[in-house]
Amino acid sequence: MNQFVLEAKHRTLLLTGVGIGVLCLVLTFLGDDELHTRFWSNYLHNTVFFLGIAFMAVFVQSAFITAWAGWYTSFKRVWEAASTFLVPALILMIPIIAGLWGHFHHLYHWADAESVANDPVLQGKSSFLNTSWYTFGTLIIVGTWIFFGYKLRSLSLQEDKMAQTADFKIHKQVRIWAAAFLPIAGFSSAAVIWQWVMSVDAHWYSTLFAWYTAVSWFVSLMALTILCLIFMKGKGYFESVTDEHMHDLGKYLFAFSIFWTYLWFSQFMLIWYANVGEETVYFQTRMEQYPVLFYGNLLLNFITPFFVLMRNDTKRKYGTLAFVSITVLIGHWWDFFQMIKPGVLHTAHEVMAHGHGAEGGHHAAGFLMGFTIPGLLEIGTFIGFLSGFILYFFSQLAKEPLHPTNDPYIEESLHHHV
Amino acid sequence: MNKENTEVLFGLYDDETDLLKAVKVAKDDHLDIMDVFTPFPVHGLDPLLGLSESRLHIAGFIYGAIGTLTAFLFMTWVFTRDWPIIFGGKPYFSAPAFIPITFELTVLFAAVGMVVTFYIICGLGPGVVNPSLDDRITDDKFCIAFDTSNADESVVEKLKSFFSSTGASEVNTKTI
Repeated sequence: MNQFVLEAKHRTLLLTGVGIGVLCLVLTFLGDDELHTRFWSNYLHNTVFFLGIAFMAVFVQSAFITAWAGWYTSFKRVWEAASTFLVPALILMIPIIAGLWGHFHHLYHWADAESVANDPVLQGKSSFLNTSWYTFGTLIIVGTWIFFGYKLRSLSLQEDKMAQTADFKIHKQVRIWAAAFLPIAGFSSAAVIWQWVMSVDAHWYSTLFAWYTAVSWFVSLMALTILCLIFMKGKGYFESVTDEHMHDLGKYLFAFSIFWTYLWFSQFMLIWYANVGEETVYFQTRMEQYPVLFYGNLLLNFITPFFVLMRNDTKRKYGTLAFVSITVLIGHWWDFFQMIKPGVLHTAHEVMAHGHGAEGGHHAAGFLMGFTIPGLLEIGTFIGFLSGFILYFFSQLAKEPLHPTNDPYIEESLHHHV
Repeated sequence: MNKENTEVLFGLYDDETDLLKAVKVAKDDHLDIMDVFTPFPVHGLDPLLGLSESRLHIAGFIYGAIGTLTAFLFMTWVFTRDWPIIFGGKPYFSAPAFIPITFELTVLFAAVGMVVTFYIICGLGPGVVNPSLDDRITDDKFCIAFDTSNADESVVEKLKSFFSSTGASEVNTKTI
């Protein structure tokens, strides 16, 4: 079966998931404090998480093309389809950008004029942390990613439709676009991660943060790829994807989970050791007030993949692979949750103390639900975004044949053996 | 391999695909292969020969775990019992500071332990001389060897016809 068809019952299921997500967002909005802190932080959290997964699909393709990797070719349509989610993700970012201009959310401390006026640190950072940079940085950078994702996908599809010539004309073009994207991806992803995620803790910074976040996206993409392939193989698609391919994907999941831990720990240990108050406050808050988030993060994203996927055969069995993929996907969503929530909560307190809210800064008790641990509404929102991602991804996958017939590396992929 | 005076009949192949086909034929004909030598690891050879998965990685895990415990417990003992010093205002027992060395000792123990185990299993080491059937099997030849010490003439003939039918470029005998 070379043409994917999304069954009606799965479409209904995914649409129901999107409905649950929308319902949860509405309920969050209605039951929220007057700044709608919980609603906006959930919205930012999920949008950034799934936008990053789509970005990583472009990055992984570029990296593999540049490295002359051939093994993934038989399922490369999966990543091509996943990269198209960048378009709806950018649209989802627009309310956040609009909110900065219209001041109807208070996600970012640096966007609050009163706070900046009395704060030399925020004033010093204002040449980067400002509304214009946020707006145009997001639009230009995500726009560039969309362009490169589109370019890789359309060239790959074009290659399929016209027979491959002896001089590999299209493949050479693909190689140039892919190689060009790597440095762009490296610098631009760091810039937007600082803007979207790290700047919720506007006073704090860490030079490792962009790497650490990007690897979270990477691992999540691998987990989603494995789950998608297991599902589609169960339906009879991707017969050419064998245990050997799953084994290699499992290795990526395993290796990059360790890499994530390495970055996480490097960031933690340097800050812990240097013991500079401005830096340790980030971990102080999380360890003291969010212990479940903080230690659960390591359990989900390091202990589980490390010990389950260590053996050879667990990377080849669908049961263990699916278990670790689900754990790690939830784990990295959880990781983003604990990156974003404490900073947003702090900003909300500050803004309220300025008199924007009737009860001033004494709102802590009301905030905690959905902040120190994901509540039911957060889980529903996650289900909504995940269903939306998968629905969009499947509808893109269904548009084109699954098997890239004319890719020069397809033979290598069909005979892949680890 | 270390038995003295084993008579070996061996065929050399020029290509690993020929070798894989020949091993398959030998398995189908129930010929008792003594060993196969290749200059590099050949994909798919192990399952064809029916070799079970190496247990070296289990040994590696145990060595690694010993390394983890050694490093962590030793540092804990030194910094809490034997010679407590305050570094940078940190408590005596500062687990995060122990992690890098624990990691390094885990890798070191696992790596060195696995290399030593591998050498012992394979009978390698300084000063050990291992008989070689033909020096070219470390370069560009692929070899299937049969033990013919106690084989009668008809078996040897059968093996020779096996080699010629599967495209061996040379067939030799050697006593090792």
